[in-house]
Amino acid sequence: MTNKSTKIISYAFLIVVSLLSIFPLVWMIIAATNKSVDVVAGKLTFGGQLLENYRNLMASQDVWRFFWNSAKYAVITTILSLLVCSLAGYAFEIYRDKVKDVIFVIILMTMMLPFVALMVPLFQMFSSMNLLNSTLGFLLPSISTPFLIMMFRTAAKSFPEEIIEAARIDGLSELGIFFRMFMPTMKSTYAAAMTITFMNAWNNYLWPKVIMTKSASQTMPMMISSLTSGYTTDYGMLMLAVLITTLPTAIVFFILQKNFAEGITGAVK
Amino acid sequence: MKRKVLAVLLSAAMAFSMTACGGGASGGESSKEASTQENANELTVWAWDKAFNIYSIEEAEKIYQKENPDFDLNVVEVSWEDMQTQLSTILSSGDYSQLPDILLMQDFAYQKYAMTYQDLFTDLTDSGIDFSQFSEGKLKTSVVDGKNYGVPFDNGTEVAAYRIDLLEQAGYTVDDLTDIDWDKFIEIGKDVLDKTGYSLFSTQAKSSDIIMQMVQSAGGSIWKEDGTPNFVGNKVLEKSMDVYKELFDTGVMTTANSWDEYIATFTSGKALGAINGCWILASVESAEDTAGNWRVTNMPSLPGIEGATNYSNQGGATWAITTNCKNVEMAEDFFAKTFAGSTELYDTILPGAGALSTWIPAGESEVYSEPQEFYGGQPVFELITEYASKTPAFDVGVYFTEANDALAVAATNICSGADVESELKNAEDTVSFNMGN
Amino acid sequence: MNTKKKMGMLQRRKMVGWFFLIPGVALILALSFYPAIRALITSFKTGTGVNMTWCGLSNYIRIFQDKVFLQSIKNCFFYLIIQVPVMLIMGMVLATLLNNPKLRCKGLFRTAIFLPCATSLVAYAIIFRSLFATDGFINMLLVKIGILENGYNFLAHPTSAKIVIIIALIWRWTGYNMVFYLAGLQNIEYSVYEAAKIDGANPFQIFFKITVPLLKPTILMTAIMSTNGTLQLFDESVNLTQGGPANASITMSHYIFNKAFQGVPNFGYTSAMSFIILIMVAVLALVQMKVGEQRD
Repeated sequence: MTNKSTKIISYAFLIVVSLLSIFPLVWMIIAATNKSVDVVAGKLTFGGQLLENYRNLMASQDVWRFFWNSAKYAVITTILSLLVCSLAGYAFEIYRDKVKDVIFVIILMTMMLPFVALMVPLFQMFSSMNLLNSTLGFLLPSISTPFLIMMFRTAAKSFPEEIIEAARIDGLSELGIFFRMFMPTMKSTYAAAMTITFMNAWNNYLWPKVIMTKSASQTMPMMISSLTSGYTTDYGMLMLAVLITTLPTAIVFFILQKNFAEGITGAVK
Repeated sequence: MKRKVLAVLLSAAMAFSMTACGGGASGGESSKEASTQENANELTVWAWDKAFNIYSIEEAEKIYQKENPDFDLNVVEVSWEDMQTQLSTILSSGDYSQLPDILLMQDFAYQKYAMTYQDLFTDLTDSGIDFSQFSEGKLKTSVVDGKNYGVPFDNGTEVAAYRIDLLEQAGYTVDDLTDIDWDKFIEIGKDVLDKTGYSLFSTQAKSSDIIMQMVQSAGGSIWKEDGTPNFVGNKVLEKSMDVYKELFDTGVMTTANSWDEYIATFTSGKALGAINGCWILASVESAEDTAGNWRVTNMPSLPGIEGATNYSNQGGATWAITTNCKNVEMAEDFFAKTFAGSTELYDTILPGAGALSTWIPAGESEVYSEPQEFYGGQPVFELITEYASKTPAFDVGVYFTEANDALAVAATNICSGADVESELKNAEDTVSFNMGN
Repeated sequence: MNTKKKMGMLQRRKMVGWFFLIPGVALILALSFYPAIRALITSFKTGTGVNMTWCGLSNYIRIFQDKVFLQSIKNCFFYLIIQVPVMLIMGMVLATLLNNPKLRCKGLFRTAIFLPCATSLVAYAIIFRSLFATDGFINMLLVKIGILENGYNFLAHPTSAKIVIIIALIWRWTGYNMVFYLAGLQNIEYSVYEAAKIDGANPFQIFFKITVPLLKPTILMTAIMSTNGTLQLFDESVNLTQGGPANASITMSHYIFNKAFQGVPNFGYTSAMSFIILIMVAVLALVQMKVGEQRD
């Protein structure tokens, strides 16, 4: 196989996969410009209904408030979550011992239980602590996740021991090593974790719908749910709403993906 | 450079976590404050459907406010699915203080919540609301042991709507489809399918709604006296299954895999009609370019069943006052003077949302007899009110959702060739299994 | 003296390690582990609301008599066996291709391939259903090529409905897993590949001899995550097929959710079913970890 043919095949493959991947998004954009009847009929061309759909949506829902709620929750969750979980994941690997390994397994097990089983006890706890309808109530259960801890632990496995030793000789504190060595080195891991945490927090649905019982604290996914639960659904308007809900994650990813380009060597130097 | 970025990032994190905790604490406080200072005249309502239910109760609020200017409703939009999740969680946690003052409840789930959580709804029997003015079939939904636990709201009377322009191509009129039984319906349907390629109506594959509607139309029940499932040897149910299978096999009825697909079948697809609760008309009307070509009539009746009618019901909801209501007296008075006492309200929400009343005096209003252009000038609302008065009552029971699911599975299997009797047996076993424990 | 100082240092480091762990671990113990214990207790009780009574193991015995739940276990394992390997290999291949520094438009490709998991469920459920509808695009294509004579209602038949779910899962989650591989690949110096190329290795050799071994920790992690995700699968079953036809594609989580919130709720039974999922995932994860370690 020549270099050139490999290249052509890679490009062809990537283009096909990319097109398949974005097709539903494109369809969503098209649907947002069409009338409800045309959307359910599967029309594939742009319509002139975008403004009308926008007006209907704004008239029926407090979109920007829900958007702001979702954004606020997602941003705070992401920042806290990255800090807490990367510290823990790093410690599980770098300061590894028997006890910590057992704790790690226990933590991992909690991820394997469906959330449905936790909802009632969690609700009781949060209700008695008066945390319903509050930002903190939304955040707390999603700050520390076994998944992120595991991801950072996996990343820490490839963090060279020599760097840590060298830094210690240079007189850096343990916390200093984490912040000045580990964090910058693992930029790509942080970028990936950030995207995925943001997305999960943004789309978080089951928990908020149980504890957010006031209009003012509801989020975008709850709004989408409301839009589909009437006797009639305006699918054009609905598609515009889901489009607005999808874009932030896409933009966050697009901005962060550049960080996947730099290798470990580039960062350490 | 790197250090700077890090410093910024860290301080940002700190700042955010401060605001997070601060926000959380103040959020908690403010909600606490709100509940102590809260206006005792402000009631919280959970309901879904902005254009229908929420619109209606907000109109009721306006009417009530004329005499009670202090009165206020805080309506929270909660989808029915979300509300079930919230209710189950709250009720299982035992913390009833998180319930709203008023909530809207699907009729098919009313008995379930009323029987399973006997302290969820406030007993309204002696509230001063005149329940005798509601249609009997509807009222039955919210009555437990002779006590009233809800204020009936909208009407889900079964309608059949057809495209007469397409029927005409096959040589039929809407009169040919009025007051007939399913045998005749299938005969016409086959002819129409041959000539035009259109099915007469459609259903959603995953639900057994149409089967339940048939059972109700013939005055049947899916429950025995003692509340256990009555599937095996139930003549009405067996006949309904037979009819369903024949409708499916002949193609007179098409099936859709989801709700949006279902809507598409009659707005732009291969079905020239819709048979469902009258609220389906709003979706029918979304096909604006077919205006004037639709006509409304009653549904076919079950052949060979004594007492079979052409009338049934699908859907509808009822208002409930929870036991957490902070001002029960006022809530009762609100309902007595609006949903159970104001023709003005129903005159507003009928044209405004197509919300048909189950409060009998409202049906006498002139608004109901107005001709509807979309249906070639038929006085559709009057027709529906007439159908409603002829609809047999139906016992949804506590385990309606379980029964509906099990029968949907049975219907799917019967259509792919399974035997009716053994499938009904399986469905009955499934429901009994779910009721056990 | 020197050793003493060293001991002190080690002790201190150990303490620091614990200090790093505390926020994360405490949160999980309080907000997942503790409620999980409460759920475990509930799983030995029966009843509704707050009036629950002890019932011993009867909820767990009941599971084995519950035909729908047994069906849902079968379905989930069917998804797991087919979808997880295909998706992970696809993700790795894509990540490898996109890791090439000479590739143009990397950002666009990456974003495009990542997008499916960010795309709203509502939108993608509608579009997948319409693609696979009897008169949909896929049927049109198959009829045109001559594979099918007439349109086939994919979602109305047990096997094809499950296959549609698998296709949808692969479509939605491949890009998501690719992100972990992309991040993992940054820890491999690109010069390793260059050296291998100069030695005359073909792309397949490079992939299996260099990429896969070096990505092993990440592969293990994604394998555990995907196993967990598939056995707890919910969205696709609810939105694409509604579990149908006749429960042929329903997943365990979907069934549990229905039991908890749609019908008459019995949290004792739903908790018991949840713990069955936990046991299954835990066993599979253990096997995966053991296999992962063996090849070290």
